[in-house]
Amino acid sequence: MPHSIAIIEDDPAIGANYADALTAHGYAVQLYADRQAALAGLSNRLPDLVLLDIGLAGEPDAGFALCRDLRSRSATLPIIFLTARDNEFDMVSGLRLGADDYVTKSVSLPHLLARIAALFRRAQIGAATTTAEDVLTRGALSIDLKRFAVAWREQPVDLTLTEFWLVHALARFPGHVKNRDQLMAEAHIVVDDSTITSHIKRMRRKFVAVDAMFDRIDTVYGMGYRWQADV
Amino acid sequence: MAGGRLKQAALPALGLRGKLILVALVLLVIPWAGYSYIKASEQLLREQQERQLTGAARAIAAALNDRPRLATLREKSSDGEAARAEVRALVTAVARTGLRIWVIDNQLQLIAVAGDIAGTTGPDPGATTFGGIERVVRAVLRPLLARWLDAPALPSEEFIPNDVVFGGREVERALDGAVSLKRRPGPGGSAPIVTVTHPVWIGETVAGVAIVEESTGANVSFRDRAIERLIAVTLIAFGAAALVLLLYASRISVRLRRLRDEAEQAIDSRGHVRELVTAEHARDEIGDLSRSFSLALTRLANYNAYLENLARRLEHELRTPIAVIRSSLDNLQLKPLPPDAAVYLDRAESGLQRLDMALTRMTEASRLEQAVRGTERERFDATAVVAGCVAGYAAAFPQSLFAAQLPQQPVMLSGAPDLYAQLLDKLAANAVDFAAAGSVIEIVLALRSTTAVLTVSNRGALLPEELRLFESMQSARRETGPDIHLGLGLYIVRLIAEFHHGRAIATNFADGSGVQFSVEIPTLIVD
Repeated sequence: MPHSIAIIEDDPAIGANYADALTAHGYAVQLYADRQAALAGLSNRLPDLVLLDIGLAGEPDAGFALCRDLRSRSATLPIIFLTARDNEFDMVSGLRLGADDYVTKSVSLPHLLARIAALFRRAQIGAATTTAEDVLTRGALSIDLKRFAVAWREQPVDLTLTEFWLVHALARFPGHVKNRDQLMAEAHIVVDDSTITSHIKRMRRKFVAVDAMFDRIDTVYGMGYRWQADV
Repeated sequence: MAGGRLKQAALPALGLRGKLILVALVLLVIPWAGYSYIKASEQLLREQQERQLTGAARAIAAALNDRPRLATLREKSSDGEAARAEVRALVTAVARTGLRIWVIDNQLQLIAVAGDIAGTTGPDPGATTFGGIERVVRAVLRPLLARWLDAPALPSEEFIPNDVVFGGREVERALDGAVSLKRRPGPGGSAPIVTVTHPVWIGETVAGVAIVEESTGANVSFRDRAIERLIAVTLIAFGAAALVLLLYASRISVRLRRLRDEAEQAIDSRGHVRELVTAEHARDEIGDLSRSFSLALTRLANYNAYLENLARRLEHELRTPIAVIRSSLDNLQLKPLPPDAAVYLDRAESGLQRLDMALTRMTEASRLEQAVRGTERERFDATAVVAGCVAGYAAAFPQSLFAAQLPQQPVMLSGAPDLYAQLLDKLAANAVDFAAAGSVIEIVLALRSTTAVLTVSNRGALLPEELRLFESMQSARRETGPDIHLGLGLYIVRLIAEFHHGRAIATNFADGSGVQFSVEIPTLIVD
């Protein structure tokens, strides 16, 4: 049975284009144009993933409300914000409300498909055992490439997909400095420099929440960031 | 705006206050009018005095007229003696202090004299109407008045002025039967003396002359007093008027200056309305001006807000069709297409990218401002940041040479290290773009008392005069590439410098060989 994806998007052309592309890739797609339709359509059964626009037909923040609503019904439902807005405030709000990812509408379809696939894999393989090859270990850090999960000192760190890719890009070669462009390329995101900075800050905070002594993500001013190797 | 200020400064500084004081000079009409009036009064008094004197002389002459004993005046007989006594009695009865009367016969022999012209005084010189001011005026003015108005002084009084009695033309004319009047300078610099000579008739012949003299001291004294009083009044009026005008002018000037300052500060360098002019409630023209300023700024602020919203809405509105095109192109690529279609897909894709970039740039300035404003502050070592950045530049700009000069000790700042690094990035990139080939770009961080001064200098093209580089949308470079350049780089530098409570300065080298950008930021106090 194919994965079902709900697209909640008020622009019919974009909605139809995404629906076509996702259908072509073997997903079952339901398209809703506004909040009421989405609430009605999703009331009985939740889809496997939700693509959510923030501004919906006259309600500029309807997407946030929907996200909160959906998250309350399922803690694991993958939610991706897909929006024309690219300011950091909206991004932070969206991620704080429990969305798993946030992409702007300027993202290309292949990128979007890759991210959807990644989220599905993370959601699906949640319970499955992972083999050793799928786990990247750097000292106390372990990165599970199959489940898209990161653990520090064997405690899970709750990262968004973007943050996961950033940690992965940094920790793959400890000690190497990655500049912002490299990080953006590896995390498949296109945002301005300051957004990378705030992503890094959020990641640090999440690690520090697990371990107060965490100081592995280094800012190398003028160049980028690096994962400090174990001494 | 700066240019306008300079032009103003070149004009002679004549503020409102100065102008109103000039207006107060109109009050100088008062002393002029007063002086004319005093002159007229003095003239009147003089004529009156002359009439009185002439009257007195005529009265004496009339009393002596046609007395046959007068013919015997010069005889040494008892008759002559009696006649002389009679004349003396008459003269003495009429004369008084200040009024001197002579009687001489037609042989120019003195028959009788009485009275004294010395000791005439005007009003009490100590009395004042305006107190202290008048006394001061008097003290200052007395010598001046004496010089300007009084006749030159004679050395001393002759008891019988020869020119009057003997050989004086007036006496001659009196002996010829005419009445005449003469003024002569008073003795010892005192007021002039008026002399009236009147013939005394016996029958058809002139038997003698009656001479009446009086000092004009009373008149002069009256005039001096009046002038002093006039000047005192003028000074008081002028002073009071000037004071009132000055206060009034100061008030207006303060209000206008406040209005000007507010109007200047109301709009920042990016044309944003920062704060509105507080409309005054005063119901005069300045209040009106202030209210209309306030209104104009409110409208401008609304319009600005509308424009900013428009840009944001436009960006948002355009992103949706771009997303439609992009997703359509992506879908199209999944379909089997004729082989030559790929090139058109590529072109559409690149065009789309440029459109997207242009949209991003459109709202970049305001997004940057928001981002900088929302950044959290922390303590950081600027030396470490600069050192890290400079190390990175060697890799980032392999074709340029960098020389860094850093202090030994840490330079602690309060702010955001990322932003500080971004600031240096922009300055370095700018220097790389403008540096002469093969020249060294110098990056210096120095601690000057409580200020961390970061300087990036390069040899090469100079900054154009008057170009406000640190404002947004100002670019000194020519458009060379397809990338849209809106001159935001140095504006970001200023934003970040201001976020750190510092400032950015751009100067040309004194010798004209290059340019230097400095950013001064106050340091934290290091224990």
